[in-house]
Amino acid sequence: MVKGAVSFERRECVMIEFGAGNLRVPKLSRKVFLVGAGMTDFRKFYPEKQSTELCLEALKMAVQGMGLSPHEFRGMVNYAVYPQFADHFGDQLLAEAKIHDYLGLDPIGNVGVKTGGATGGTGANTAIMAVASGYASMVPVIGWERMDEVDTRQGNAYIASAACKDFESHLGWSYSTYYALMMCRYIYENHPNRETLAKIAQKNHNYARFSPFSQFPGDYTIDEILKAKVVSEPLTFLECCVMSVGAAALIFCDEETALTLTPHPVEVIGMGAGSHTLRTADRRNMPILLLPNETKETYRGRNLDWPGFTSFLPARFATNQAYRMAGITDPVEELHLAETHDAFTVSDIQTYEDVGFRPYGRGAEFIESGDAYLGGRLPTNLSGGLIGSMHAVGATGLFQLAEIFWQVRGEWEKIHGDERLWQKYGKTKPADFMSLQVPDARRGMAISHAGTGSHVTSIILERR
Amino acid sequence: METVKQRQKVVLLPWDGVKLTRKFFGKTVPAGVIVRENESHIVHHHSYGTLSRFFNELVLGRLFGRICIEKSCRAEPTWGIWLPPRVHCPDCWEEMSWVEVYTGGAKVYTHSMTNLPGAGFMLSTPCPLISVEIPGVCTKFMGYLSEFGEGEPYIGMPIKPVFRMNQPTYTILDVSWVPKD
Repeated sequence: MVKGAVSFERRECVMIEFGAGNLRVPKLSRKVFLVGAGMTDFRKFYPEKQSTELCLEALKMAVQGMGLSPHEFRGMVNYAVYPQFADHFGDQLLAEAKIHDYLGLDPIGNVGVKTGGATGGTGANTAIMAVASGYASMVPVIGWERMDEVDTRQGNAYIASAACKDFESHLGWSYSTYYALMMCRYIYENHPNRETLAKIAQKNHNYARFSPFSQFPGDYTIDEILKAKVVSEPLTFLECCVMSVGAAALIFCDEETALTLTPHPVEVIGMGAGSHTLRTADRRNMPILLLPNETKETYRGRNLDWPGFTSFLPARFATNQAYRMAGITDPVEELHLAETHDAFTVSDIQTYEDVGFRPYGRGAEFIESGDAYLGGRLPTNLSGGLIGSMHAVGATGLFQLAEIFWQVRGEWEKIHGDERLWQKYGKTKPADFMSLQVPDARRGMAISHAGTGSHVTSIILERR
Repeated sequence: METVKQRQKVVLLPWDGVKLTRKFFGKTVPAGVIVRENESHIVHHHSYGTLSRFFNELVLGRLFGRICIEKSCRAEPTWGIWLPPRVHCPDCWEEMSWVEVYTGGAKVYTHSMTNLPGAGFMLSTPCPLISVEIPGVCTKFMGYLSEFGEGEPYIGMPIKPVFRMNQPTYTILDVSWVPKD
């Protein structure tokens, strides 16, 4: 793939410079808790149910989990947030108004939220801010996407409408080709084994086997993953996320309300949001923004572009905020599990580095060391992630937080092992079903990610 | 005397008829569920605004970027050319200046191969997608290689631009790249 001698000389360039205000550590004015989570199953094609039905099902599951009736719950709500990525897909503008009404929540105020692939994470952030500010005391967030009204080619074009339509969309109308571009550069700069990338896909397809919600479970060999159809060289079909229909819901509230609902509410202890150019081309070089677990020494002698095409500035920026807010100085030791936005195998390995699970250039070690697996130091995407379970875009960031919520409350098996859920979704619980509950998990982080890194949110949850 | 009230009728205008989907994504629609084909053909009238010059220059066989020469913008003269061009400098918000990009040192920064493009893709496949590194340019311009052989593209490959001067599309596809040799 690589030919000829290429120098890594850094060019004199304009760069982003931070002012003190830019790096302020976020602070919530009061504590915010996650008290309920629910979701539907996720499918490629879901003609049996409309988006309204799916959203209601997801919220109903969350509310039932809190032991409340719809009437009791409705009487407590004072704001609502609706993440959905693209009106194009559902072909219904202001669908959030239709869903809010369908849930019987009128005339409570609400807002629709859109930040591409990070829409779910941004929806959660919005609800957290509404509660933290004192504006609201209980806020449901209901996210969904209906990606089955158009064929896959048109679906890819819709998603690539969230690239720059003047200068980049026309060059592929597909995000996999933009990520494959980053993958080539990543392999060139960091030389991971190609198999290591495939192992991420293998892990997540496999964990998806134990989830009744998942769309693309599978027990694949590395060879099968590498020899699968190439979507965009070098990315294979099994290394790319699914396109889904489905919904997920979370319920955030203040401390007073939380303690009336559960003795074990889950606190938001860290959060952050970052952004970068929509056009991959427009990334400017800058010095690496250091996380609490890094020093200048970590990158002494490194002479590569940053963020270049191998890193995501907003993932680092958002996570830096979240770690500093939560007081986390060693994420692999201090977090108990994580959910990353594994849209593609390469973006996952890039993210491990952005969020400091390993220093830049060494993301492969996070997989090869076993840290990322159940039983490892920081199991990641036990949900099956976007590759194995779902990517109903507006729901994705909420799905990740729901899975962390159940894990840190020790409820993973109660939910995922429930025969009735498997039956409800027309599935058979696998004979070799195993519990993916992380023993004694109390603290987890979810990374929600858009574009080729246009928006990223980072949220850290901890059980009381 | 009783008058007969005249009532107007509202009728369906002439139409092409409905198409119901029976099978999609290889799966049959369950009995009793209606999946209707909602067609749309929409034309947007999209302006390139001030950036129109960039596309007009492509038709003349020239690649133009924008550069900020505002002295108050930066203490150090670390200017770079923006390609794609932007009208305003994102740092000082002053209008930047047009500059023709010298592509003598252009090379492939990274690449991929578009095999399964999304709908609306106007090029044949396989189509190598490339990011182009150009000395003096602070971005890595995205484009495609319109001629390639075995083992191409590769990172560091010297390339030069070619322009669709006849029958331009007035899209970014009016410039592509070929091996420099």
